[in-house]
Amino acid sequence: MKPHVVWKATSYALLTLAAAACFAPVYWMIRTSLMPTNDLLSSALWPAHPAWGNFAAAWRAQPFLLYLWNSVFTNGAIVALQVVTSSLAAYALVFIPLRGKRWLFFAVLVGMMVPMQATFVPVYTMLSAVHLINTYGALILPYAGSAFGIFLMRQGFLTLPRDIVDAARVDGASEWWILTRIVLPNSKPTVVTLVLLNFVYHYNSLFWPLVATNTTNMRVVPVALSYFLTQDAGQTLQWNYAMAFDIFAIAPVVILFLIGQRYFVQGVAQTAVKG
Amino acid sequence: MAKTAEAVIAKVQPDRRVERRRTSLQLTGVAMMAPALLFLLAFVFAPMGYALYLSLYQSTLYTPQPVFAGFANYARLFSSPDFWQAASNTVWLAAGMMALSLPAALILAVLLNQRIRGRAVFRTAIFGPYVIPLVSSGLIFSLLFATDGGPVNLALQRLGLPPVNWLGQGRTALLSVLILTAWQFTGYYAIIFLAGLQSVPTSLVEACQVDGGGRCQVFRHVTLRALGPSLFFAVVICLIQTFQTFDQVYVMTGGGPDGATTTFAYYIFEKGFQAFNIGESSAASVLLILVLACLSYLQMRVSRRWVVEES
Repeated sequence: MKPHVVWKATSYALLTLAAAACFAPVYWMIRTSLMPTNDLLSSALWPAHPAWGNFAAAWRAQPFLLYLWNSVFTNGAIVALQVVTSSLAAYALVFIPLRGKRWLFFAVLVGMMVPMQATFVPVYTMLSAVHLINTYGALILPYAGSAFGIFLMRQGFLTLPRDIVDAARVDGASEWWILTRIVLPNSKPTVVTLVLLNFVYHYNSLFWPLVATNTTNMRVVPVALSYFLTQDAGQTLQWNYAMAFDIFAIAPVVILFLIGQRYFVQGVAQTAVKG
Repeated sequence: MAKTAEAVIAKVQPDRRVERRRTSLQLTGVAMMAPALLFLLAFVFAPMGYALYLSLYQSTLYTPQPVFAGFANYARLFSSPDFWQAASNTVWLAAGMMALSLPAALILAVLLNQRIRGRAVFRTAIFGPYVIPLVSSGLIFSLLFATDGGPVNLALQRLGLPPVNWLGQGRTALLSVLILTAWQFTGYYAIIFLAGLQSVPTSLVEACQVDGGGRCQVFRHVTLRALGPSLFFAVVICLIQTFQTFDQVYVMTGGGPDGATTTFAYYIFEKGFQAFNIGESSAASVLLILVLACLSYLQMRVSRRWVVEES
C-alpha cells in the first residue's frame, strides 16, 4: 500500500477513536437516564425497556425552570452589561489617542488573570456589607466589567480600517455615533463571539454562585446540579434521575454550541493566535 | 512689535482649537473607559488589595476586631502539610495534563489540519466537551467511576478483575479528576494548536517538500517551529487553569479522601468558606495571585504582540 493511503487510514482511525472517546461519557449519561430504577446496576449498553418516564420524574422532583430562569436572567444581564462596558472601553483603547493607554491596557491584562477563586472573600464581604448577598445583584455585578471582553473587542476593533473612523470624525460625527453606527455594526462577529463565549462560561461556572447564594430559590443550574452529589449522596443516589436532570442542564449550552459553533472555535483561536 | 504679536496669535489660535479638541477627545476617552474600569476596580483590583490586607490579620467572619498578625498566616501556611498537599496535587494535575492532554491535542490538531472528509463533524465532537459545564461532566464521571454499577468497574469485572473504589482512594481519585479534566479540555487545546497550524505559511511547507523533506521532516523543521508560540500559550493556560481547578473537585470528591484531591483553589475555598479562617485563606489567595501573575507575565513576554502590536 502507498504510504499516503496508510496515513489517511490512520488519520481516520485516530480521529474516530478520539470522537468516540469524547462522546462515550455523554452516551452513558443518556443511556443511564433511560434506565429503570430497579435496573441501575445492570451492565446493559442500552436499556431493554427505556424508561422515558424518568425525564418527567426528574422534571417534577426539582424546579428546573426556576433554576434555568435564574441562570438565563443573571447570565443574560452579565453578558449585556459586558458588551456595553467592553465595547466602550475597547473603542477608547483603539480609536482615541489616550494618554497612558499602555498602562490601561496592561491593567486589563492583569484583570484578566485574576480569578474569582482568589478574591471571593473580599468580594463577599463587600457585597454582604451592602446586603446584596443572595440576590441577583450579587451574581451579576462582579462580572459587569470584563477584562476578557475588553481584550476580545479590542482584537476585533483593531481589524477595522481606521480611515473610516477618522473620516467620520472630520465630518463632525460624535464618538458615540461612530461607535454605534460604524464600529459596532462592522464588528458583529466579535460581539456574537463575546456573547456566546461568556454566556456559556458564566452559565457553566459553579464557584461564585455557590458562594454568593444560599437559598433554593436563588440557585442557578450548576449549583442545583452540585447538590445531587454533595447533599443527596450515598446509596440513595438515583443515577437515572440525576442523569436526566443533567441532560436538562446541558441542553441549553449544547444547542447554543451547535448553532454558533463557528464563533466558539474562532473565539478560542483568536485569543490564542492573533492575541 | 504689535504686528509680530498678532502674527504669533494667528499662528497659535488654530493650534489652540486643535488642543481643545484633543482635550475633549481625551475626556470622551476617559468617560468611555470609566464604566469598565470602575467595575474592574471594584470587583478585581480593590479585592486584590483587600485580600493582601486580610492576609496580614488574624480574623474570622465572626471576630469583630481583626488582630494584626504580620506574616503569621503565611508562616502557618508554609508549615501546614495540608497546604503542601494541595500545592503538590495541583502540580501533579498540571503535569498530568501536560503529559496526557497537550500531546493528544497536538496530534488531533495535526490530523484535523488536512483535507479530510467529515472534518467538521470530527472537530465538533472533539471540541464539544469543552462547552459542557464542569459540574455536569463531574456528575457524569462520578457515575463512570462509581464503585457499584459504574461502567469502568463493570468493564473490569468482565475482564475478571476486582472492582476499584476509584473516588474513595487518594491516588485513583486524583487520577479520576485528571481524566475528567483531560476529557474536558483536550478539544480546547486542539483548537488552539489547529489555529497555530493554520498560521504556518504553506510556502514554507512546500519549500521543505521540494527539498525532499518527508512528512516527519516537514513537521519537525517547519510546523513544530511555527507552533512554538501556540505551544507556549497552551502550557501557560494549562497551568493557569489547573491552579483554578474547583468545580469538578467539588462535585466528584469534595477534595477528599483526606485532602487527596484538594487543589490550590479548593484549599482557599475550604479555608475561607468552610473553616472561616479568613487570614489563612487570604494568604493562600495572595500566593495564588502571585503564581498567576508570574505565569501571565511569562505569557505576555512571549507574545509581545499583545502589548506592542499597535504603535
